Amino acid sequence: MGVKLVTLVAALTLAAGGEAGVFPFAHQVHRLDNGLKVIMIPLPSEGLVAYYSVVRTGSRDEVEPGHTGFAHFFEHMMFRGTEKYPGPVYDGIITSLGVSANAYTTDDYTCYHMNIASVDLPRIIELEADRFQNLSYPEREFQTEAGAVYGEYRKGRTSPFWLLFEAVQDKAYDVHTYKHTTIGFERDIAAMPTMYDYAKSFFRRFYRPDNVVIVVTGDFDPAATLALINKQYGAWTPGYVAPEVQPEPEQQGERSVEVGYEGRSLPLLALAYKGERFDPASRDLAAGMLLGDLVFGETSDVYRQLVLEQRLVQRLMADFGPNRDVGLWSVIAVVGQEKDLDAVRHALDAAARTAQDAPPDPAALEDLKRRVRYQFLMDMDTADKVAGSLARFVAITGGIEAVDALFATTAQVTPADIQAAARRYLATGRRTVAVLKGVQR
Amino acid sequence: MSGCAHTRSAAAPAAPPLAQEPVLLPVPADPTVSFRIAFAVGSQNDPAGKEGLAALTAAMMAEGATTKRSYPEILRALYPMAADYTVRVDRERTTFSGRVHKDNLAAYTELLVDAILHPAFAASDLERLRQRTLDGIEKTLRYASDEELGKAVLYTTVFAGTPYGHPEAGTVAGLRAITSDDVRTFYRSSFSRDNVVLGLGGGYDEAFLAAMQRQLAILPASAPAVPEIEVASGDRRRVVIVDKPGPATAISFGFPLAVRRGDSEFAALFLATSWLGEHRNSSSHLYQVIREARGMNYGDYAYIEWFPEGGRRDFPPTGVPRRRQLFEVWVRPVPNAQAHFALRAAMREVDTLAAKGLTREQFELTRQFLLKYSLHYADTTALKVGYAMDDRFYGIPAPGHLARLRDALARLTLDEVNAAIRKHLHPERAVIAMVSEQAEALAAAIGSETPSPITYATGKPAEVLAEDKLIEAYPLGIRREDITVVPVDTIFAR
Repeated sequence: MGVKLVTLVAALTLAAGGEAGVFPFAHQVHRLDNGLKVIMIPLPSEGLVAYYSVVRTGSRDEVEPGHTGFAHFFEHMMFRGTEKYPGPVYDGIITSLGVSANAYTTDDYTCYHMNIASVDLPRIIELEADRFQNLSYPEREFQTEAGAVYGEYRKGRTSPFWLLFEAVQDKAYDVHTYKHTTIGFERDIAAMPTMYDYAKSFFRRFYRPDNVVIVVTGDFDPAATLALINKQYGAWTPGYVAPEVQPEPEQQGERSVEVGYEGRSLPLLALAYKGERFDPASRDLAAGMLLGDLVFGETSDVYRQLVLEQRLVQRLMADFGPNRDVGLWSVIAVVGQEKDLDAVRHALDAAARTAQDAPPDPAALEDLKRRVRYQFLMDMDTADKVAGSLARFVAITGGIEAVDALFATTAQVTPADIQAAARRYLATGRRTVAVLKGVQR
Repeated sequence: MSGCAHTRSAAAPAAPPLAQEPVLLPVPADPTVSFRIAFAVGSQNDPAGKEGLAALTAAMMAEGATTKRSYPEILRALYPMAADYTVRVDRERTTFSGRVHKDNLAAYTELLVDAILHPAFAASDLERLRQRTLDGIEKTLRYASDEELGKAVLYTTVFAGTPYGHPEAGTVAGLRAITSDDVRTFYRSSFSRDNVVLGLGGGYDEAFLAAMQRQLAILPASAPAVPEIEVASGDRRRVVIVDKPGPATAISFGFPLAVRRGDSEFAALFLATSWLGEHRNSSSHLYQVIREARGMNYGDYAYIEWFPEGGRRDFPPTGVPRRRQLFEVWVRPVPNAQAHFALRAAMREVDTLAAKGLTREQFELTRQFLLKYSLHYADTTALKVGYAMDDRFYGIPAPGHLARLRDALARLTLDEVNAAIRKHLHPERAVIAMVSEQAEALAAAIGSETPSPITYATGKPAEVLAEDKLIEAYPLGIRREDITVVPVDTIFAR
């Protein structure tokens, strides 16, 4: 007989082939008087709850010179406690509750996530509300944490991909803050220990209820939870002022950059096209986001040619994701040998031209639409992953309505839309071409 | 919206066609089905001189043509399902895993079963996957992932001369020596109805299970022998320093552990190690000493079971069960100038734990932590199936490892934990693996117990500075002749 196991799962009442309402869970959205938005998605999850605090500030918002990387650094400081719960006390409580707590920072947002037992939700709401309103730490701890961030930077620099992205972003943008990576320029990281006062102002400007969305998923009572959130966060004063992020002027002509990696690496080739600011109602955008998979994905002609048949490329990846402003839609090839870099680039260019010259096979487009939908649905198999799947949409748009809206728009995308998107977005004049080579032979 | 799982229905099925019972976790309301198909074969079964054969064979099954379909056809068929199957080859197990929506169950299963039963082992797939693996060793592991390199060197040093003594991916010479015939022969002798365990979870039904079993039963009925792993634990500390350029030094160290999952002392050591260095957890002690108080690196962790891809996962993996495990410490990269200090700081904490054990307060807090934190280890059906498959390996009966661990934690006493620490933690026998561009200087400094003072860019509390004085002169007791410096280009060459 099989092993006896007991589990509960969230059943997705899904019709992956259906058109409306792809997001499979019932949800409630509330906004507190101070502007704090609360999205609650109750679902069976074996007595666990995921509690996400999405701050709609990321490295994109680092507009002042000399302060790149600050959103990420600040994420570290958020674990340093308050007057009521100083760092060690906070850590002790989190530990005793067995919380899986972490955070991450991206270009567009900062996300604090906790995976907890349902019985501990009231305590977690109290702790989260406290640190988001009353963060307080001594300068010395701030300086020590800057050292840990520098350590994270050192760790990152051992990755050739990381170096490549750093160079691509720097080259592709002139004025927009997407010019720097989320961890920031090294010189700014080195100066972080001196930025104690700036950190306080950062907290005052961006950690405001009208810039934060809370997402709760899993086994919990929505009414009681909302009441608790109201009680604990109600006194938080609004006052978010959006930074003036300089719009990037339209790119005029192809750019290129060469990166040397200290060590040995397979050569990397990146074609980074300027994409589109996220708008779930835009068919142009929806078609553009499909281009990466359709033209360069693992069922594309160019993938078969370069990876499987000629074997010039070991991995071919495309990321055409959503961004708050005009982000980069990138195709990355891990090339086998330097001598093949030109051939690979020509093949990728030819693939882009083919997409511009004729609409794709309608069956291939429908296969991709099905894939995207199944991918989204199958990813959401725990409370934590439901909240995690939504975080970027919540950060960019302020809510989760964009999920269904994007799927509805995507369903309408035609082969002609794809061709038009290829002409618009895969234009050489909007891209940056980057090559990374190891400098030690 | 939810379903309570139970064992297979009582309707008496015919005798199972496979030698081993399946691992089953039916969840009728789940719209997906999770697969684990594990074969009792791994890199320990690589023939001498053909290191990497198990991994290459499995890769050709999961990422190559079958006798019915070209690989591009397979990719096209899987594409609209947003499903795939992957394979992991560890020292002792080769596991195919996948998950698919019920809508696509029949089409997906046909592809998965075809991959396992009818691989074509096409020459072009062999060359593609061989080259990818070689580049993975010669370029990525040696030059672009110091932390993984350090861990790989730790394991291959401790297990040198045993079937555990090379990485799963193989060695450069071994991979180059593998022929198409080697792959076919290895496949025929290693993938058998006698050494396979079928794991299923989610929304499948009895008829589906029976069909899967019938299909896998056409595999041949042989299986490779399980080799003995005789590991000498050594009587003193040894160091291997990989000489490789870079601004930071990676450090891993460990020693063989006599305790494994399912043993009575496992929970005690698990708790002690969690206190010392729970993976990716800021509350752990090493993290507090090295990162939190001193800001030297990104994190510092400890393990009593193999934990691959630590940089990319938050919780322990499944599908990597082993008969031989290490107690292991992972110090994430520190600036080269602080490498000696960091090693001293970490080793000092392990020595202190081994000598003094935990206090009651540390014990109680860690127990409280683990009783809830371990709920996160297996929060999906696929992971639960994975844990149950590992239970089969370790011979752990129902209700399975995690439930028994929680039960054991609840009953554990401080005395039991400290007795297990005294008995099993032997840092005086640790093998230390480091990756550093200052290999010779580091070897000389460690071998002569040279003081290694640390300086900070910013101020530190008096108690930290006082402890630094103890750490900078902390004797590691390592002789220069027990330190080996290895050029990075020779790592895993053969």
